Amino acid sequence: MTLMGADGLVVETTLVQIVKALVIFGFIFSVVPMLTVLERKLIGRFQSRIGPNRVGPRGMMQPLADALKLLSKEQSAPATAVPWMMAISPVIIVATAVTTLAIIPFGPQGAWGGDLGLYGIDVEIGLLFFFAFGSLAFYAFVLGGWASGSKYSFLGAMRSAAQLISYEVAIGLSLLGVAMTAGSLSLVKIVEAQGEMWFVIPQFVGFLIFMVAGFAETARAPFDLPESDAELVAGYHTEFGGMRFGSFLLAEYIEIISVSGVATACFLGGWHGPGPEALAPLWVLLKIFALILFFIWIRATLPRLRYDQLMSFGWKILLPLATLNVLITAILLVVT
Amino acid sequence: MLFEQLLFFVAGLGALAGALGVVLIRNPFYSVLSLVAHLISLALLFLLLRAEFMAAAQVVIYAGAVMVLYVFVVAYVGGSDEPLGPEGGPLRRIGPLFAGVLFLELAIAVVGSSLDALDSTGPEVGASFGSPGEIGRLLLTKFLLPFEAASFLLLVAAVGAVVLARKRRGLEEPDDGVPTLSVADVLREEGAR
Repeated sequence: MTLMGADGLVVETTLVQIVKALVIFGFIFSVVPMLTVLERKLIGRFQSRIGPNRVGPRGMMQPLADALKLLSKEQSAPATAVPWMMAISPVIIVATAVTTLAIIPFGPQGAWGGDLGLYGIDVEIGLLFFFAFGSLAFYAFVLGGWASGSKYSFLGAMRSAAQLISYEVAIGLSLLGVAMTAGSLSLVKIVEAQGEMWFVIPQFVGFLIFMVAGFAETARAPFDLPESDAELVAGYHTEFGGMRFGSFLLAEYIEIISVSGVATACFLGGWHGPGPEALAPLWVLLKIFALILFFIWIRATLPRLRYDQLMSFGWKILLPLATLNVLITAILLVVT
Repeated sequence: MLFEQLLFFVAGLGALAGALGVVLIRNPFYSVLSLVAHLISLALLFLLLRAEFMAAAQVVIYAGAVMVLYVFVVAYVGGSDEPLGPEGGPLRRIGPLFAGVLFLELAIAVVGSSLDALDSTGPEVGASFGSPGEIGRLLLTKFLLPFEAASFLLLVAAVGAVVLARKRRGLEEPDDGVPTLSVADVLREEGAR
């Protein structure tokens, strides 16, 4: 069976697609543990500490110990909780986070020979796919927080709901400029359109808005209000223990990777770089890695915002700026 | 083809179960959640009809934005099992009547058109059918007037919502001269209580 592709998009057999799905899954689940140790090490350095250094050489085996600890812990829930809902919300968050990775292009079609495209799928609705699964992730926060039957969890869930709705508008508008310049929503076509110039130059404002809103969407510092530990214990995942808590953590890292991947594809030229075409995935990975380092760096640098600052920043500064960016881009596109 | 048929029945049953759940479940929170399940199933059905853009828009706008606000409000107002109003009343008697008539009408329309199409393969559509580009072109050429009318209606509704919210909450004289947005306000009140 072949999946039908519209408009000359690549048509691949089911087998190839299954292999791709497995590769993406395997890759992500081996990268995320490394990211956790990288983040802890780096933040340690930023704060003049050593960071984890007990398990394995230079503490590099720390994720293994963490995973074992999380797996062997007891699952507990408050008496007021709704257990089945607490069980599905980690599933929702990991599923939506991993699905988003399918559209990130790591290389053009045929870079490694044959008709093989180095991406999960190339869909005509590319960016909308990203938004669709990003917005479904919201239900994991709210179900998790609501079902926990605890005030801290509930407040965290409501905060994440308000934050996600507010910043989703800005993130959508920031990518609209890119979509208009490239003339397509497909991430592969957007990368192809950046052969001469990366969109970070003509769409610099869009890039800034996307990165700021990306921090808010992934609920990373300085926008980590849904789980701000000083006020809400741990926000929506306060009552989760063991690997369920681990799933929320896992999903957060996957979301960082996918936001960095979309930023790479939309603004940083995707697979374009010096050298032969077969090196394409290397460039994409390098750019994603640089953006992830930026995420960690910001977390170590900036303090958390106050809640009303977060809201007024999103609605009164980011949104008008993003709208203005779209308007100016449209005018420039029509004039030139 | 087998996979698509399987998906059709899964999505169809999901849509039906979701729709029934909205009406039958007493707890408003679960009711809203089953509406979400219904909308996602509908998006799957759109996907099977090669309407990728419609499917994505369905998820982004309905499941991702409209229902988020519903869940938000219901989670605040309460997940109680108490009935919203007293039992009985005229609406309770007329309601099923209207529902029955509507069901009959829809059933006649659906069965009438779909029985003919049972053994056919459906209409031939071009490769770009349902793509964002094609829909955009149609909206700005053939359906320009309805499109603009709808956007004007939405603008009026948004302005109306702001006006009503100001009146209800006595925001005629706000401290900083700018009426703040409701989502932030809801949370701030909760914090102050």
